[in-house]
Amino acid sequence: MIHRNINILHDFNILYLEDDVELLKHTKDVLDDFMHEVYGVYTSEEAMQVLENEHVDVIISDILLKDENGIDFLKKLKQSDYAEIPTVLITAHTESAYLLEAIKLKVENYIVKPINLKELLNTIHDIVLPINQRREAQKSNNLIKIISEVSDGKQIEVIKYIMSNLNESDEIRTSYSEIMSHIDISKPTLVKLFKKLAENNILTNESHKIYKFHQESLDSL
Amino acid sequence: MKIKKILQILDAISFGYKSAFLLFIIIGGMISIVVLSQISTYTIKNDFDLLFEKRTKSIIRLEAIKDTYIININETLNDMRKGLINSVQGQEVVALAQQLIRKNWSTYLNIIDTEKYQISWINIMIKKFFIIEEQTPNILLQQSIIHNIKAKKKKIQSLLNQIFNPYIHTDNHASLIEEVNYEIDALSIYITSLTNYDLSMTIQEKRDTDKIFDMLSLILNISIVLVFIFSVLLSTFIIINFKKLHFALQGDVLEKTKALQRLNASLETKIKKEVENSRRKDTLMFQQARLASMGEMIANIAHQWRQPLGSMMMIIQGVQSKMELGKLTPEMINEKVIDTLRLAENMSDTLENFQNFFKPTKAKESFTLKSCIEHAFTLSKYILEQHKINVSIKISESIKLHTYYNELSHVFLNIIANAEDALSLTKGEKFIEIVAKEVNDKIYIYITDNGGGIKADVLLHIFEPYFTTKYKSKGTGLGLYMSQQIIEKHMQGTIRCKNVCYTINKTKYEHCTLFTIILPHTQSDKNDT
Repeated sequence: MIHRNINILHDFNILYLEDDVELLKHTKDVLDDFMHEVYGVYTSEEAMQVLENEHVDVIISDILLKDENGIDFLKKLKQSDYAEIPTVLITAHTESAYLLEAIKLKVENYIVKPINLKELLNTIHDIVLPINQRREAQKSNNLIKIISEVSDGKQIEVIKYIMSNLNESDEIRTSYSEIMSHIDISKPTLVKLFKKLAENNILTNESHKIYKFHQESLDSL
Repeated sequence: MKIKKILQILDAISFGYKSAFLLFIIIGGMISIVVLSQISTYTIKNDFDLLFEKRTKSIIRLEAIKDTYIININETLNDMRKGLINSVQGQEVVALAQQLIRKNWSTYLNIIDTEKYQISWINIMIKKFFIIEEQTPNILLQQSIIHNIKAKKKKIQSLLNQIFNPYIHTDNHASLIEEVNYEIDALSIYITSLTNYDLSMTIQEKRDTDKIFDMLSLILNISIVLVFIFSVLLSTFIIINFKKLHFALQGDVLEKTKALQRLNASLETKIKKEVENSRRKDTLMFQQARLASMGEMIANIAHQWRQPLGSMMMIIQGVQSKMELGKLTPEMINEKVIDTLRLAENMSDTLENFQNFFKPTKAKESFTLKSCIEHAFTLSKYILEQHKINVSIKISESIKLHTYYNELSHVFLNIIANAEDALSLTKGEKFIEIVAKEVNDKIYIYITDNGGGIKADVLLHIFEPYFTTKYKSKGTGLGLYMSQQIIEKHMQGTIRCKNVCYTINKTKYEHCTLFTIILPHTQSDKNDT
């Protein structure tokens, strides 16, 4: 099993549509501890109101609702502005007939009742993870851009060059002169940079002209 | 040996031929006996007639003639000769005598010649057949004698004429008389011979008659004996045949009777077996129906338990996660326990509801109809809610029943389940309405749903066992059959079903199904003792 960092859930809002008052109450109670915000609603109408007023990252809906069913709500949702919001269906065993329709409506996942909390959290995690990663990537990107703007950009450009030319086994076949032909940088600076990278065990010289990038060294920084 | 063979042959003849043969012999024998006796009687009478008329009468005539000649003429002449009477007197006497003689003679001739007293042709035929040595009567002798008599008569006539002729006076009166005497003697001899002839004829005829009689009697006796023997024989055979037939038939009848008895006995056992079988089948059906409804009930329990169970699981997991996060407080635990207990109690209630339903209460109890129907709806509440079926119960609290509570709620459950199945497929507003009223000791219960009605060809069969329109996994086809059995056999009521048009809340629904249950009200106490 992949180790899931449940803590990332704290940055997300969830809409939980469930007609069973008790279940909704207790599930919301538990989810509150993990999520940023849990909007618990009984009907699709309320759900739409929440969607209009709040930012929602994930929708979880029971298939059987009091006066409607979850599938109809999903159809409506997929035709609305909120079609991109990932959805999870909660079903009972007896309602498996709805699953085919749910798949056609591109539901992200489904959970079978009775709800297992871990399964629920993992499912939510798996859905929000790409969003989280996208956010993180965006953040790093922004960070790099800002750093390159405020400091000497040459070294960053060299690292960019190296990172973008890594092959599948995280190796790069290059030389100082080759780098210098691409980037306008002095040789001492370049040597100093490589030396620093080697010291931190980030980029090591494996053999002649072959350098290897070590992800794990970077992660442990 | 020969007799034996004949007997065997006779015995071998078929029964029909035997009886026909017997009939033929009896009729033939009778006819021949009758004919023969008639013939013999006729013959005897003929012979007797012949004897009397022809022979006896003629002999009498001849004797009369002879007497007349001898006594009247001869004596008269003798008297005249002696001078006792005169010639005139003598002539008168002689003339009278001659007149008598002429008359008798002509009568005699007449008798001989007459056709009336000839031998009948039957006699002739019989004689021809039976008497070989035919003695033809000596007609010539008779004729010559008659001729001689005639001659003598003439001579006597002439002599008498000479005697009494007054013109011829002769002295030899005495010689003439003498001659007349002589002639009369001769004539009497002739007449005697003629008499003898007639007598001999009579004797011969008597012989013939005897012969014929003997012959006929012999034939008659033989035929009687034959008829008798054959009749006895054939009757015996027929009786033997009858006996054989009787015994054969008796044997057959006995055998058939035994076979019938055996058949009867086997039929009895068969019927017993069949009855037992059908009873077993009935029990089996009841069990099947019971199992099916138990299955439904269990499904209902499962439905009703699923939600609280899910909530409880969530609570437990929540407690664990809160503890892991270190957020668990006594207040929180308190709250969670209260919630859990409430849910558990809810589940327990549900279980109790169904437990009552499964309890095999055999005794009748008193209850209100409304409570029974409401109970049935409670049990199927989940599915009704799932399909969003509106239920309206319009029953007065005052309608009370004294009967089998569980069985009646079974019936309602079956009808509700039926309505649910129909309503699950219909769109729009769905309803089940129950109305009950009490009229004249009878309780009328109307259960209507707008599930589209029942097709006419299906409607005919809905109360038949194992008849179902649902998939095998869903229906057993026993629900409505059992309902009918319960209502009609256990509660002496009736249950009917038809398609109706129904108006509810001012909306008219074209296709509705109406179940009508009629229960006797007072009856329920009768069978209690």
